[in-house]
Amino acid sequence: MIEVSHLTKSYGSVTAVDDISFRVEPGEILGFLGPNGAGKTTTMRVLTGYMPATEGRAVVAGFDVFEQPIEAKRRIGYLPETPPLYPEMTVHEYLSFVARIKGVPGGEREQRVNSSMERTRIDDMAGRHCGKLSKGYRQRVGLAQAILHNPEVLILDEPTAGLDPKQIIETRELVKELAGDHTIILSTHILPEVSQTCQRVVIINRGRVVAEDTPDNLTARLRGAETVLLEIDTNGADPAPALSAVDGVTRVTATPGATGLSKTEVETVQGRDLRRDLARAVVTNGWGLLELRSMRMSLEEIFLHLTTEETDEDEGGADLVTATSSAPEAPDA
Amino acid sequence: MRNALAIAQREIASYFASPIAYVLIGFFALLFGYFYSAILAFFLRQSLQVGQFGFGGPTTINVNQDLIRPLMINATVILLFVLPMVTMRSYSEEKRSGTIELLLTSPLSDLQIIMGKFLGAMALYSIMLAITLVHIGMLFMYGEPEWLPVATGYLGLLLLGGCFVSVGLLISSMTKNQVVSGMATFAVFLMLWVINWMADTAGPVTQAVLNYLSITEHFDDFSRGVLDTKHIVYYLSFIAFGLFLTAKSVDSERWRG
Repeated sequence: MIEVSHLTKSYGSVTAVDDISFRVEPGEILGFLGPNGAGKTTTMRVLTGYMPATEGRAVVAGFDVFEQPIEAKRRIGYLPETPPLYPEMTVHEYLSFVARIKGVPGGEREQRVNSSMERTRIDDMAGRHCGKLSKGYRQRVGLAQAILHNPEVLILDEPTAGLDPKQIIETRELVKELAGDHTIILSTHILPEVSQTCQRVVIINRGRVVAEDTPDNLTARLRGAETVLLEIDTNGADPAPALSAVDGVTRVTATPGATGLSKTEVETVQGRDLRRDLARAVVTNGWGLLELRSMRMSLEEIFLHLTTEETDEDEGGADLVTATSSAPEAPDA
Repeated sequence: MRNALAIAQREIASYFASPIAYVLIGFFALLFGYFYSAILAFFLRQSLQVGQFGFGGPTTINVNQDLIRPLMINATVILLFVLPMVTMRSYSEEKRSGTIELLLTSPLSDLQIIMGKFLGAMALYSIMLAITLVHIGMLFMYGEPEWLPVATGYLGLLLLGGCFVSVGLLISSMTKNQVVSGMATFAVFLMLWVINWMADTAGPVTQAVLNYLSITEHFDDFSRGVLDTKHIVYYLSFIAFGLFLTAKSVDSERWRG
């Protein structure tokens, strides 16, 4: 339904999006994850035909967005980062205007406007001026605007930004509900959102795709690279050198605590349980082992791993674990 | 065309939803009314002189030549101040608030958006002009002016205003800042206004060029009741060129992001 190949977008000398390729299948929800400034908004703007790409192709619903922009735009609903509302119009006026410029036939307009207001639960605000709405309602009017012409593809740039927890849940439910007959790309920097709503995740950082998989697979891929949390009484000595020497340890972060205690996080390679070896290392050094606990990596940590600047290699996430283990001395992010 | 009309309607509604339309129309009506009274008073004194003495004043005077014509030429001065305020927000406001993203990602061509904005601004301007029909109408009630020069005068005012609006849209499309947009538009209008002041002291070729470029020079014949294709072509091509540059400006903005 959406096919992006080798998309590059530069602003002058700055490359915002660098050779991105991905596909979205019909009916799928794709999560677009990345820190601020990673190139999410730029990619979405290129997909919606707001701006042309410097290089590469993007095909939406069978139409190339550069060659046949009008046809492609007819099939896209887009919610930009800031909902594009005219403050002086009422919600109903605004949606009727959007229906006109999106090419909804005159006879269907009123019905489309009403049904999209119902779906986004803003019907009680129909007569209110857009400029007087709260952030949450503005966001929902933006969403209503995007689904108004019943597009095949929905592109939502941070649809839950600025909403309260209840609204966030409602919006996620709505997005899931829409997924059946729409194909959705959704950008966010909120991680639980991705695992809850999306079937597939593309993580991008500094304009490149660093990982692409299902949320479960992403977690599984890194689950082996477990983190072990130790609390050791070292009498003030630094435990890092001794623990790093243990075979299989990739990274040690020691935080000195009070009275000679040290809280230490140890990351290990995939698929090996090093708890015994670590305990032995602590004991042979004559330290007191107060706590030893294995921690799973959450999606949050995977995200940090993939997007934190800790390696010069830009291998595009071909092998996630090597990327992180190649720089054991990197500072903790 | 339907899409352009949708945008034009939204533009008009937006002018009238804020105080802008009322302030501008009021300002225009006030100044026009003042010019009208002043010129009318002068005209009355002159006609009195002609009636009493038959000499000492101008030998013949008529309503078209000595009242309506100076009134229309003076009305163009008001446009200089009013029209920048009509066009200054058209693109700037959309860029600032982000609504331009809605327009540019909707199935619309750039031309439809530009035409919509142009028609919207022209509609507001036409409403201003329509108010002045009251003043002219009174002259028809109490006198017998010829209607043809009045009609060509209004056509001239519309075309002249169209030129200003197209320049205003172009400048508005280049900045997010309404104040910058308004000031720059005003400066350009003023320049277009006075461009032929240098003509008298320039060489014959420069003189011809400057006079041809001068936006007011072309208005003269309209106010006199002369309909010359040369001037109509000038104004229409000026408008088309302005809108073309606006399209290019919007497009280049896309590429630069």
